[in-house]
Amino acid sequence: MLKALIGRELLNNLMTFRFAAVLLITLLLVVVNTAVLIQDYEQRLESYNNAVKMHHQELRNSKTYSTAYLFVDRAPNPLSIFNVGLDKRLGNLTGIYHGFVPTLWDAQMHGTDNPFIAFFSSIDIVFVFEVILSLMGLIFAYDAIAGERERGTLRLVLAQPIRRGQILLAKYISAMACLLVPLILSLLFALLLLTRSIPLSTDDFLRIAGIVFTSFAYLSLFYLIGLLISVATRRTGTALMLAMFVWGFLILVYPNLIRATVNPSADVQERTKTAKNQIQQIVDEYERERKKFLENKSVIGDASQFIEAVSLYTDAHVDSVTLSPYLENMSLISEIPPDFEKYVPIAKKYYSFVEPLATNAADKAWLVQKQALDDIFVRQAVMDRALLKLSPVGIYDAATQAWAGTDLLGLRDFFDATRRYRRVVIDYLYATDAFSSREWFVADKGPVDWSTLPRFTFERRDVGTNAKRALPDLFLLLICNLVLFMGIVLIFIRSEV
Amino acid sequence: MNFLSPRLSDLQLITYNQQQKMIWHIAKRELYDNLNSLRFALATVLLLALMLTNAVVYLREHPARTQAYHNAAADAVKALEARSTSLYRLATEGPGGLHKIPSPLRFCAEGDEVFLPKHADGRNYIRDIANLTAVWRMGYPQETPSLHNIRPDFTTLDWAFIVSYVLSFVAILFTFDTISGELERGTLRLTLANSVPRHTVLIGKFLGAFISVNMPFAIAVLMNLLLISTSDAVQLNAGAWGRLGILYAIVILYASLFIALGLLISAAVRESGVSLVVLLLIWVSFVVFMPNTLASIGSRISVPIAYVEFWNQRIRLSDEARAAYQDKYGGSQTKPPVHVLGEYVSKEAEEHERYNEAYLKEQIMQGKRARAITRISPAAIVQRLFESFAGTGFERHLQFIENVQRYAREYREFVVDTDRADPASLHVVGIREGMSQKPVSPEAIPKFKDTLSLNRDFNTAATDLLLLVLFLVVLMSGAYLAFIRLEI
Repeated sequence: MLKALIGRELLNNLMTFRFAAVLLITLLLVVVNTAVLIQDYEQRLESYNNAVKMHHQELRNSKTYSTAYLFVDRAPNPLSIFNVGLDKRLGNLTGIYHGFVPTLWDAQMHGTDNPFIAFFSSIDIVFVFEVILSLMGLIFAYDAIAGERERGTLRLVLAQPIRRGQILLAKYISAMACLLVPLILSLLFALLLLTRSIPLSTDDFLRIAGIVFTSFAYLSLFYLIGLLISVATRRTGTALMLAMFVWGFLILVYPNLIRATVNPSADVQERTKTAKNQIQQIVDEYERERKKFLENKSVIGDASQFIEAVSLYTDAHVDSVTLSPYLENMSLISEIPPDFEKYVPIAKKYYSFVEPLATNAADKAWLVQKQALDDIFVRQAVMDRALLKLSPVGIYDAATQAWAGTDLLGLRDFFDATRRYRRVVIDYLYATDAFSSREWFVADKGPVDWSTLPRFTFERRDVGTNAKRALPDLFLLLICNLVLFMGIVLIFIRSEV
Repeated sequence: MNFLSPRLSDLQLITYNQQQKMIWHIAKRELYDNLNSLRFALATVLLLALMLTNAVVYLREHPARTQAYHNAAADAVKALEARSTSLYRLATEGPGGLHKIPSPLRFCAEGDEVFLPKHADGRNYIRDIANLTAVWRMGYPQETPSLHNIRPDFTTLDWAFIVSYVLSFVAILFTFDTISGELERGTLRLTLANSVPRHTVLIGKFLGAFISVNMPFAIAVLMNLLLISTSDAVQLNAGAWGRLGILYAIVILYASLFIALGLLISAAVRESGVSLVVLLLIWVSFVVFMPNTLASIGSRISVPIAYVEFWNQRIRLSDEARAAYQDKYGGSQTKPPVHVLGEYVSKEAEEHERYNEAYLKEQIMQGKRARAITRISPAAIVQRLFESFAGTGFERHLQFIENVQRYAREYREFVVDTDRADPASLHVVGIREGMSQKPVSPEAIPKFKDTLSLNRDFNTAATDLLLLVLFLVVLMSGAYLAFIRLEI
């Protein structure tokens, strides 16, 4: 009996105009946007490759250790085509230096960053689905029960020995089977375009499978919302209006409303100030020790003469936004003075004393910084996300971002890697005795050999980690589905025909 | 023949009056139907909630914004007047920060205001060139606030959003069944069985839908304006109210456009269910997707280099200038003559500024291209129109940049003229020994004043307005044709 019901419903759904229209528009939107997004990705990849090449060249051109600035670039994530998340927005270029700990907020941007086009948000595949799938689900569901009730066919069906739950199940299964056609078909087209120009790994395909499954749960949730409305109302007209306004509210209004009304907490400034003071203290202490060393006449001699001879440039400041300390010491020697050799052993002593000090100060500041940055930047975003999850769009967006690895955690992985790389560089400097070497500050005996320096590599975390991050939201979606379905069955069983 | 003509005109008069009556009759019936419907209640609640949120958020944020502007502008003027101790300082240190005045109508359209820089800099921010102080130049700082922002993406709930997204959506929901619904119920046959011309029915239906769509919006707008105008924090002047009037007229045009579209599809499709699906798909493509997708296609035509690269190139440029100076004069013991030095520093500043402006122009070009292509979508047109009349967003920023460039010229002329007025001076701007040593009165220095001109806004908006009217006319005549040819 169930089979017969499903067959009838399937035929009913497939032969409608709305099915053809929805299929067409989904295909069109996904294909056009994928083509645009692939171009965009390729452009970003090219800019990334150029940047890597340039930074490598720059490093090889640095003649001394102290004036070298290492740059690390973040490659664009190919899955940003599905959900761009924070991939395009946050910085993708950060410096590595022993007197500075790179954070997400210090990063700069290579690639396009024109403020005059920042207004136009990039439309990724998940956004297309967010809008279209939800609309589709509601359009297919609003008259499922209410329509049959109006036409009187519901009575006929119920006259047969069928349980009411079975009718709902048949409707659900057949509608989902129909709705999956545009979803799967458009994704296949997108993948066809994608694999032609971007190489994807097995892990990537698994991630995409995760995104597809999440999309399915999202679609089903909206179908069930529509079904609930259809069961609860007696007329299709009312059901339709309710469904449309629910859609408008959940998709259009609520996500924007919640962001507008939630005020960025005022104590952020206070928090920034206290953290900055703490870090400033660490920096001040470093400066005190450094100056004390410079005043040590038995080692340095006359400090001002020394500074001039090695043309010492120092900087120690705390960035007021990102709270990062910048502790720089370098010799900008353009011309070697005649009595330079006299100062070489002193400079060696100075640098081998100061640079470990700067490294430690930066490390110490990082402990304070980590906490403060979480309070200043992250807490608000986490709260926003939590509130957004009251609408299915928020859950769907968060889950797909986690699958794609373009969420905050995915980006943090990268910055954790940059900090690990900083450690590697520092270890390398210690291992080669760089701080106390002549090449630290002067290149007259030949430039630094950078070839043995370990290169920075970053691998995205494996798909298991993505799954771990995405599963809570996915389960939330599935739970909503189940609860809604049970609610619908209950209402339908108790309703009069 | 002669005695017939008055009668004919009488007849025409009567039918004309009857027609008018009939139109109102149909409109009224339509209106009553709508007023009692669920959609009217839901639309009113939705629009009201959005408009009130808009007002509350605006009143919370705007005073701080204006305060910040006034503080920054006052500080800039103070700093400028502090430089009046010598003409040389004025010539090298420049006018300082030039700030953009925030528009009081930001609640109407926020546009890309968040992403745009709030000031331009006329100062001397490069290292000295071999013991010579460099001359000031205009710089256009780039703010990338999104670089620090990890909060989820969202659209501001300004009037532009409420109108282009929500009101158009509401208009579709009000009109999708006006003709197809009556066709299905069979009431259209009844109406047309009377001797009513079809266009009368169509006009009546249009009017009815128009009033019932505009009523919730008008209520919401009035509540919004009531809140804003009663607050002490914001004062709207006559100009601002005039602009609000223009904005309302645009809203009417835009709402009519979607009502006409609804009538057209409703008449062409005959089934309400199908008509809604078609309308929703058109709406989704034109309102939600097209502006962004087209803009990202359009912005790909010419892509300027990244700001980081621009910054590095500029550093290289000034390093080259410094090296060239070293090569030429670095070795010699005697200082080169004053006019050589003067020419050198002013040329360096000029080239630097030209470079800044060329980059800015490239960026603007990309912005313009991205926007031009989105004009296919009425939602994008309305967004632009709202921005131009609210004095926010891209076009407004272009005006600001023009103001800044005009002021920079004025400032330079002032320095040169003041120097010329002193016969004791050598008239070499940018070098201490070459300039007038007389003190300058702080009042005489021209101050930057950012202005907004409605004339210019009309100019930039004219094309968009015309396009909107064109769309409306096409859709109206489409609806007329579809309804006339409708078989019942």
